[in-house]
Amino acid sequence: MSRWISNEPGEEAALLQALGISSVDELFSDVPKKARIGRLGIAAGRDEPEVVAEIDKLLKRNKPLSEFATFLGGRIAPRYVPAAVDAILSRSEFYTAYTPYQAEASQGMLRALFEFQSLWVELTGLDVANASLYDGATAAGEALLFCRRLHEGERFLVPASLPWEEKSVLRNYASGPNLKVEEIPYDDRTGRLDLDFVRSAVGRHDVFGVLADVPNGFGHLDEGVLDLKSLLGDVPLVVAADPLALSVLEPPGNYGADVVVGEGQGFGISPSFGGPLLGLFACRKEHVRAAPGRIVGATLDADGQRAYALTLVTREQHIRRSRATSNICTNESLMALAFVVHASLEGPRGLASLQTSLAEKARTLASALGAVDGLRAPRFEAPYLSEFTVEVAKGTAAEFLDRLRRRRILGGHSLADPRPGVPSGPERILVAATQASGDKEIQKYAKAAKIALAAVGRNA
Amino acid sequence: MTVSFRQARWDEPPIWELAPPGTLEAPPAIPGVPERLRRKAAVRWPELSEPEVVRHYTRLSQMNFGIDTSAYPLGSCTMKYNPKVSEMLARRPGAANLHPYQPEATAQGALEIIWRLERLLGKVTGLPEVSLQPSAGAHGEYAALLMVRAYFREQGESATRTEVLLPDTAHGTNPASAAMAGFTTREIPSKDGCVDVTALRAAISEKTACFMLTNPNTAGLFESDILEIAETVHAAGGMLYYDGANLNAILGITHPGRMGFDVAHLNLHKTFATPHGGGGPGAGVLAAGEKLGPYLPVPRVVKSGRKFRLDYDRPRSIGKIKTGYGNFGLDLRAYAFALAHGEEGLKHVARRSVLNSNYVGMRLGKFLPRPFRPLVKHEFVLSGAPLKERGVRTIDLAKRLLDEGVHAPTVYFPTLVEESIMVELPETESRRELDQFVAAFERAISDTPENLHAAPRSLAVRRVDEVRAAREPLLSWKDLRAHGAKAETP
Repeated sequence: MSRWISNEPGEEAALLQALGISSVDELFSDVPKKARIGRLGIAAGRDEPEVVAEIDKLLKRNKPLSEFATFLGGRIAPRYVPAAVDAILSRSEFYTAYTPYQAEASQGMLRALFEFQSLWVELTGLDVANASLYDGATAAGEALLFCRRLHEGERFLVPASLPWEEKSVLRNYASGPNLKVEEIPYDDRTGRLDLDFVRSAVGRHDVFGVLADVPNGFGHLDEGVLDLKSLLGDVPLVVAADPLALSVLEPPGNYGADVVVGEGQGFGISPSFGGPLLGLFACRKEHVRAAPGRIVGATLDADGQRAYALTLVTREQHIRRSRATSNICTNESLMALAFVVHASLEGPRGLASLQTSLAEKARTLASALGAVDGLRAPRFEAPYLSEFTVEVAKGTAAEFLDRLRRRRILGGHSLADPRPGVPSGPERILVAATQASGDKEIQKYAKAAKIALAAVGRNA
Repeated sequence: MTVSFRQARWDEPPIWELAPPGTLEAPPAIPGVPERLRRKAAVRWPELSEPEVVRHYTRLSQMNFGIDTSAYPLGSCTMKYNPKVSEMLARRPGAANLHPYQPEATAQGALEIIWRLERLLGKVTGLPEVSLQPSAGAHGEYAALLMVRAYFREQGESATRTEVLLPDTAHGTNPASAAMAGFTTREIPSKDGCVDVTALRAAISEKTACFMLTNPNTAGLFESDILEIAETVHAAGGMLYYDGANLNAILGITHPGRMGFDVAHLNLHKTFATPHGGGGPGAGVLAAGEKLGPYLPVPRVVKSGRKFRLDYDRPRSIGKIKTGYGNFGLDLRAYAFALAHGEEGLKHVARRSVLNSNYVGMRLGKFLPRPFRPLVKHEFVLSGAPLKERGVRTIDLAKRLLDEGVHAPTVYFPTLVEESIMVELPETESRRELDQFVAAFERAISDTPENLHAAPRSLAVRRVDEVRAAREPLLSWKDLRAHGAKAETP
């Protein structure tokens, strides 16, 4: 039996005696016989060293990113997490706490979340941020529902270039209230949004919101987002932005965004095979009562001293039930702490300098891959920061990535929707510059790419 | 033994007051980025050294309760001890440093952990089709209801089955999730804290898509009519949904499958001891029987031969509900917990948590009335209504408990009990801890009304004015600047 449960001799007997019963079984007399089960059919328990040995045996079958030259990206960025971030996250007053319902006992977490909210406000140029949502994709889903509370209509426009996972999540969020997600086509040369399409769709008066991502799903920047709001009038604009990119880009609040969502994993959170992640959400103050999720506010205590509390709770499920702005209860608070700690360690200059150096690496990578016969790198004629799209002109993206993998290179990920029956589209991969991959790894990638594509040629 | 307690009280300024913001000059231009897209001023945030940042957040941590500092008797939250070994394992490079898009061949261990945990949870729930994708309990509820909706669409009944029924004791997430998934909701009144089966029969119809139930419920009671409830729901062609928030009390005794549920969510951050992180992350597993299994999110993890892979070929699936495959870091912790406990251990978890709550319920029942039958499962409910004779409310008692160095129970929920207090002290609390909690409760409730109103006094702050927080929302540093507000002059 594990030592996580007290097993002092006589302890259970004393508790039973106090209750005036002779067996714990009596406490289950309200479970009908027909509802009882026999055995679960799982293995017997193990002691701690055995658990460690078993899990380590499984983990050895994984090859962590450090064993490869890594160019994986997308919304999940494998970045170096400063040791100080994990030191703070390991403070068990933080990580073993529950949601700060009892404000007086939870000032530490409330303060940290208030600082996190403030940082997302500064990055986005909006007024109010919540204390986190599950991830970037669900934050976009919540933004969709939020827009519908602000504006009539039945269609929500998203870029056709949005990652397939996010489109799928958005379609799920839209499906409850029977709303439609419609894709904005992009220019084949630049990947830029077709603004004429947006203009005419909005002109039909059934669009309740438009989402654009910065950088877009191809990793590129589209200057057109700056002009989107002028086409929308009072139709809300959602910008899904990469937080690191916002250290060097115009805050979306300055060009009319009503909501800014994002994936915050890149700040202080290891990729952990895709979770936990961090959903970011900010909006304008006049819309805060329509916003989803927990929000921390500053107030005073009985002595008139500054104190913090969860606030505007009448929006939330535990008060408003079926009329709540969202069903979210548990969020990603600890990850929000990681975000603000990492960003504070870097400071504004550190963040901008990290983004600048990744962009420089990405340019080196693009020119190295651009020289490879059989690759179009970058695929789109458009600016980029850390990542860009490459089109594999010979063979398939999957084969190409697999050949690279055998040479210990994680060369990016395919942008295709992997579900059978969905048209697979062009053979495109998203390639990211990462801190761990320098000139040597970039040259290794280019060389391996040449060999891989030459092999395709021979097979053909 | 009396625990004497004083929380650290740092006059720690907000991080932006530790140093002036760095230069607000624009960051250096990145070649190729159009001028119009460039940030014209640096992010307004201070430039601090690592020791300054670490001290700041360490001081904040010292003004926070956690399960490592004290008992945390929040009803329906199952605040149990979080094993340290799980923290160590989740930080191994083979777990933390994996990208969800890296090739399957390079993540066989992670896929096997997911696959094994899914099978294990299939046995624990009696619902064999499992997905770990949801991020939290409410997220799982929502996904499950989307699955129910997809199922009825395929049956040609989506136009008629538009209603979700739930008891008036349901967690707020249940009606909120149902509404988000496009259903209307209808509450079934309780009788003596349990579902009134007659009222359920009267309410159920061909419009019923689903009945959502927590068992044991939020009053801490086992719904002994569960088999009859399941039969009633199924006879009307509806689905029965299991809210797994309170699964801890029945591990290895019964399970949702045996009780007749069609689909369930579990909270790994409750039953399987993953830490709650000050509000999250959680992990909300979905478990389904054969009817709803095909609708689970993609991808599913499957084993072909000795290899594990991600299977996207599920034509009935609702698709994705988040990026990636779930909160793997927490799944790993939960798997370690399950491995350590095993068959007998999990059953012992249920037995000990039920023993603990019955014991503490009996002891506290001497101070305040218990509105329902005394035999409870994982938690019990008290009514603080008699305190009002002394001009005291439940909230005062809760705040006074904080002064004892223990967290307060869940208060004002379930709402059908006046001034309710919901207490859950799971299996990881020893008899000594239980007795200390009872003693703290006794000192708190016996204190004078003046002291109860003045509580807390031993924490970093005194009673927090939540009404002011909502009436004059100050939600960020930007707001504080706009109000010209500094700590002392709001």
